[in-house]
Amino acid sequence: MAATVAKVKKEKKPFHFMQWAKSRKGQQVIICVAFMVIPLLLLFTFTYLPFGEMVKFSFYDMKYSTPADKREFVGWENYLDVFRRDDCFGALKLSLYYVVGALIQLALALYLATILSFKVKGGNFFKGLMFFPYLISGIAIGFIFKFFYTRGFVLDTVLQWLGFELENLPYWLRDQSINNWSLVATSVWRYFGQNMVLFIGAIMSVDAELYEAAELDGANKFQQFRYIILPSIKTIVTLNVILSITGSLSAFEQPYVITDGANGTGTYFVIMNELAHTSQKVGLASAMAVVLLLIIFACTILQKLFFKYIFRDAASEDESYKAKRARLKAEKAALRAEKAKKGVA
Amino acid sequence: MKLKKVLAVTLIAAMTAGMAACGNTTNSSQTGTTTNNAADDAVAATESGDAAAGASGSLSYADITLGEDYTDLTTTITLFNHRTDLQSADYNGTTWDEYLAAFNEMYPNITVEITTDTNYADDALMHLQSGDYETIMMIPAVDKADLSNYFLSYGDLETMQGEINYATTWEYGGQVYGVPSTATTQGIVYNKKVFEEAGVTELPTTPDEFIAALQAIKDNTDAIPLYTNYAAGWTMGAWDAYIGSNATGDNTYMNQKLVHTANPFQDYGDDTHAYAVYKVLYDAVANGLTEEDYSTTDWEGCKGMINNGEIGCMVLGSWAYPQMEAAGENAADIGYMPFPITIDGVQYASAGADYSYGINVNASDDEKAAAMVFVKWMTEESGFSYNEDGLPVDADSTETKLSFEGVTFLEDEPAVAGEEDLLNQMNSESELNINAGGDAKIQAIIEHAFNGTMTYDEIMDEWNQSWSDAQEALGVEVTQ
Repeated sequence: MAATVAKVKKEKKPFHFMQWAKSRKGQQVIICVAFMVIPLLLLFTFTYLPFGEMVKFSFYDMKYSTPADKREFVGWENYLDVFRRDDCFGALKLSLYYVVGALIQLALALYLATILSFKVKGGNFFKGLMFFPYLISGIAIGFIFKFFYTRGFVLDTVLQWLGFELENLPYWLRDQSINNWSLVATSVWRYFGQNMVLFIGAIMSVDAELYEAAELDGANKFQQFRYIILPSIKTIVTLNVILSITGSLSAFEQPYVITDGANGTGTYFVIMNELAHTSQKVGLASAMAVVLLLIIFACTILQKLFFKYIFRDAASEDESYKAKRARLKAEKAALRAEKAKKGVA
Repeated sequence: MKLKKVLAVTLIAAMTAGMAACGNTTNSSQTGTTTNNAADDAVAATESGDAAAGASGSLSYADITLGEDYTDLTTTITLFNHRTDLQSADYNGTTWDEYLAAFNEMYPNITVEITTDTNYADDALMHLQSGDYETIMMIPAVDKADLSNYFLSYGDLETMQGEINYATTWEYGGQVYGVPSTATTQGIVYNKKVFEEAGVTELPTTPDEFIAALQAIKDNTDAIPLYTNYAAGWTMGAWDAYIGSNATGDNTYMNQKLVHTANPFQDYGDDTHAYAVYKVLYDAVANGLTEEDYSTTDWEGCKGMINNGEIGCMVLGSWAYPQMEAAGENAADIGYMPFPITIDGVQYASAGADYSYGINVNASDDEKAAAMVFVKWMTEESGFSYNEDGLPVDADSTETKLSFEGVTFLEDEPAVAGEEDLLNQMNSESELNINAGGDAKIQAIIEHAFNGTMTYDEIMDEWNQSWSDAQEALGVEVTQ
């Protein structure tokens, strides 16, 4: 009896579903959804949900330990505070040090990558050597450099070998006019190897025949770099610049570990951390985080536009911009016409 | 095709099972322990014959008789604390392992697992916020109103005051939530030999005498007169501990009066109050009486340096005293003196609880009982406070290695009822974070003193301004 009922039911609705599920299209959909659900769920739980909470916090006056029902809603007050206080945006000025550092770092990485992508003795050895710092944890690097910069320790000793007098050397971390540069140097040392490896990867994909052809035409190494390598790896250059600059806006590890953010080295992140964890102004710190996010968005968009402008020039060297647009338009029109034809057929 | 499908299904099943397993194991183990506990509880209650504590479920510190109650209790408890040094076999004093061995002689069935952390103050808060924390914790900086959410009460204040000193430290609503591990006082740890060599025979009792002593050390010895420990950060925040009883001779100043005081950082003109405390630091740095590169000071290194006579003195609580003694071969050279502020001819020193043991309120009954037994044992039997050169915590004991002749000890009074969290709120609002991790503001004193970017009075004016703004924002009545 029960069996027949089950059978009847099976024959009605689920039957169609099973059939659909077995069909090629059904299989495609099911697999797509199944594969999407897990990463999306993880992404939502661990990224968007906490982010949403943080945005919510930024409208409240609260501590971490304040129970949810005692948090006081203050509207835009925290955001106004971020702009009113001079320590928040003052700290962003320090990011300029890191931006300059990032540009030096990219130039250095690009230079070394170009050299190493040609045949060099011990090339792989050097690549490994320069990539190595990236593998050390940021905290460990912090401790290494704390001692590196201490008076009379590593850096001073090496400079003394080179003939400098100890009395003429600055105090690398005490002197407020150079301590930020000391920290930036640490950051450059850590990341340039990684940038270099990315660049080498991109340069490898350039067709070797192009170099030969260029050499036959009498191009020197610099011209090869300027007209072959650079245009071929522009995507990766753009990406690295954007990542480095957003990274320098949110510099944290070096100042936090090496100087504890004291002595004029407190970057935006360090100040934010101090406000959130010492003064327990979680709302204000959250607002700072949201403001930084917007600044990073703005910077990224500006950089995108900037690179679009730069590389538009590079791409339109053999045909004028207008000519190119006209050609693209024509191509599009042709494509549309073809589609229309198919539709009729 | 079939095979692939089977494979995919198995894989998914395995993954789900794996995920479910994570949840399941903890669940089952938890239920496991609770049932065990219930059984143990019954055993403990009947066998130890302590009906008051076991059966009724209301655990009380005062009612526990060590060595008699709960001797059959079998359970495992965890203890999270900041004493990383006690976990190292090289420690010159008694290590955690030695304490636990002694404890297990009396209570062989209670296993205590100890975790220590160098970044305790922050990480402990993180543990509490996660909701999953150790059975016994050293209570970090939580609001007193939240104490009962996290910790178990040891008993009411009146009873506890008969048992321990400093019972008011973590008291809220008449209940005591923390038993101090040890008690410390505030003064200056110094190297006797260096002071002798410098020709300082009488210990300084006023800021001027102190600066003169530092100058003498600079002139007559190779030692660094005052080591700031700037880079470590928290060592700077330690200066806040001196602005209460030490600088005012008033044990209600810190927790009751400060929040109501108008411009507490003003110059009172008689070398007292907070102004005089921080001025010692400013003047020492401005006159070059500190280490030459403050940005790279090394906390671990300074212990050996003061022991060897490379440092004259450091402003640290008495808890640091045994560490300095243990850091080298010259333990006898290390001394501890009161902070050089004299109020009407008397020097005061605030004595207060160090980190206090709090017991997880969400632990099982068995764990709670075991934890309370352990805390009581640590206080009364272990000799921890004496070994660590602290002041006695057990109310019946007067044993201590500290000698502070002619100094009046004051125990800070707690905040008045209803204002328990006001100081916390003021700290947060003003961002001065007095005695609450406000390291940056004191680091700034050194920076300004060294670079000459701000005068001392300008700094104090700024702090007064922050304090007044916070009082206004929170609507605090200014009466002093």
